[in-house]
Amino acid sequence: MSDEIQQFTDARPSAPPYPERARRAARDRLLDEAAGRRRSWRPRLRPGWQAVGAFALTVTMVGGVAVALSSWSQRSGPAAGAGAGTPGTADPASAATESVAVAPPVQGAELNPRPGQYIAVESETMYTSESFGAAGITGRYLYRTHRKIWKSVDGNAAGLLWIEGRAPKKFPGWPLPAEAENWKGGGWNEIAGHCPSWPDDTRTDYAYLSKLPADPAAMRAYLYRTRGGDNPDQQAFTTLGDTFLENYLPRAQRQALFEAAKTIPGVEEKAGVKDSAGREGVALGRVSRGILEQRIFDPETFMFLGERGTVVDAKIAEAPAGSVLALTAQLKVSVVDALPEAKDASKDGSCEMTAEPASPSADPSPADPTPTTSGAS
Amino acid sequence: MVGAQALLDGPTLDDSTVITRSLDQPELFAVLFDRHADEIFRYAARRLGGEIAEDVVAEVFLAAFRGRARYDRSRPDARPWLYGIATNVAARHRRAERRRTRIMARVPAERPGSFDDRSVERVTAEQLQPRLAGALAALSARERDLLLLVAWTDLSYEDVAQALQVPIGTVRSRLHRVRAKLRRALGGIDPLSMEPQA
Repeated sequence: MSDEIQQFTDARPSAPPYPERARRAARDRLLDEAAGRRRSWRPRLRPGWQAVGAFALTVTMVGGVAVALSSWSQRSGPAAGAGAGTPGTADPASAATESVAVAPPVQGAELNPRPGQYIAVESETMYTSESFGAAGITGRYLYRTHRKIWKSVDGNAAGLLWIEGRAPKKFPGWPLPAEAENWKGGGWNEIAGHCPSWPDDTRTDYAYLSKLPADPAAMRAYLYRTRGGDNPDQQAFTTLGDTFLENYLPRAQRQALFEAAKTIPGVEEKAGVKDSAGREGVALGRVSRGILEQRIFDPETFMFLGERGTVVDAKIAEAPAGSVLALTAQLKVSVVDALPEAKDASKDGSCEMTAEPASPSADPSPADPTPTTSGAS
Repeated sequence: MVGAQALLDGPTLDDSTVITRSLDQPELFAVLFDRHADEIFRYAARRLGGEIAEDVVAEVFLAAFRGRARYDRSRPDARPWLYGIATNVAARHRRAERRRTRIMARVPAERPGSFDDRSVERVTAEQLQPRLAGALAALSARERDLLLLVAWTDLSYEDVAQALQVPIGTVRSRLHRVRAKLRRALGGIDPLSMEPQA
């Protein structure tokens, strides 16, 4: 079965061990039920939980700052996959009504996105990729991409994402796996708008975010709105990243979020931190799993510049201290009236995922998700 | 809690017999849990991350217990039935999964074992190669269920058909479509990746 499906089998993620505490709890619940001691028990609901880790800056990389920066200069060359076109070819430059080059301070140039328009964000990223086989991790490398995303200002329309692989880098101590070179060229992906069945606080569109209260205390509550999880502070810090990544917010909200994030326990502010484009900004950083995750902002405008992940605990992070494991930059933010022409965009099934039952006959209602087995064959 | 005889018998009985006997001796159902909870946990954790998988496993076995009278006793192996329930339970947690597949290549991978095992960040899309995560996002929920049951468990096509409650012919035809979609999604990024993996 050496085919597409086999690729998924080969790349099957490793599963964490089933914690004994959780096993006992689940078994006890079952036995309570069996003994007729029905307890009221509901799964923990974590609205917005999924934000956790979505952009958890993680990882990786080799060689420290110098290496990372020098690698950056390669990037602008005819590096990696100059494959199937670039976002530039499809970019509706003529439709751009406003544009902000995030780079050096934005000189007070604020955007004024209107409903029906799209916010376009161009960025470059470097994160870790790992492959898993039956014997555990089979490969580690740093994958790099160039991305351009168009998101509906009001969340009512689907957007687009152009993503293009760039030359990968080695992960310290690991050879560059053959598969790392597989990703060349680019492709279009549809990005669903806000799914109707989702609660409002999962919205990430400008229309919603621009109405968030622009004071730090209320913004702090917003960052902590997600319940559950073992580490609410890290979660709040992750939510901070999610809110800024490939997004645009009014200055008042940006500043309030920045001030709020400074009050998250464990967060440290540091000036003069560089993003992958070499721009310096003020970083809010927090150590998680041996890695200092920094989100870098323009100190004047609070525009989000990028992320940097640096190993501070070599043992936990499994890479030498000082290695830069993640490095990104949001290069340009603009507002456009229309989406570019996108050929063969992969559909985004996100909203279906919540709306569509697993199978036509199975009833996924909370009351009874049990399928009957009669007639199965 | 579990009756002495049940404990004695349980491990030697096939799933169907355990489930049938559990109608009279409900505690015996714990044998089914002991036998399959790890496997169901692994499957759920790969799709949804470890923390949500803990909830999923608890829900799956409660649902299975409550629905045990409807179990098809001609089937000695209960795993397809449990995977089917897990698929339905997971559907309710898909909002979490959605985020993961949507972020596609944006997300870095987390390393198992490098930090505490309750990390909620460890999730499907983060661990999959970015291009595979992207291809996964192109599938419908139903197709994703099918693909991951086939790719990530050792269930036979017939087992998968049972789990999803569709005829085996439907499994085959849907898989055919899934392959075509994947071929397009993966091929759009890199035609070379179509070659058989070493």
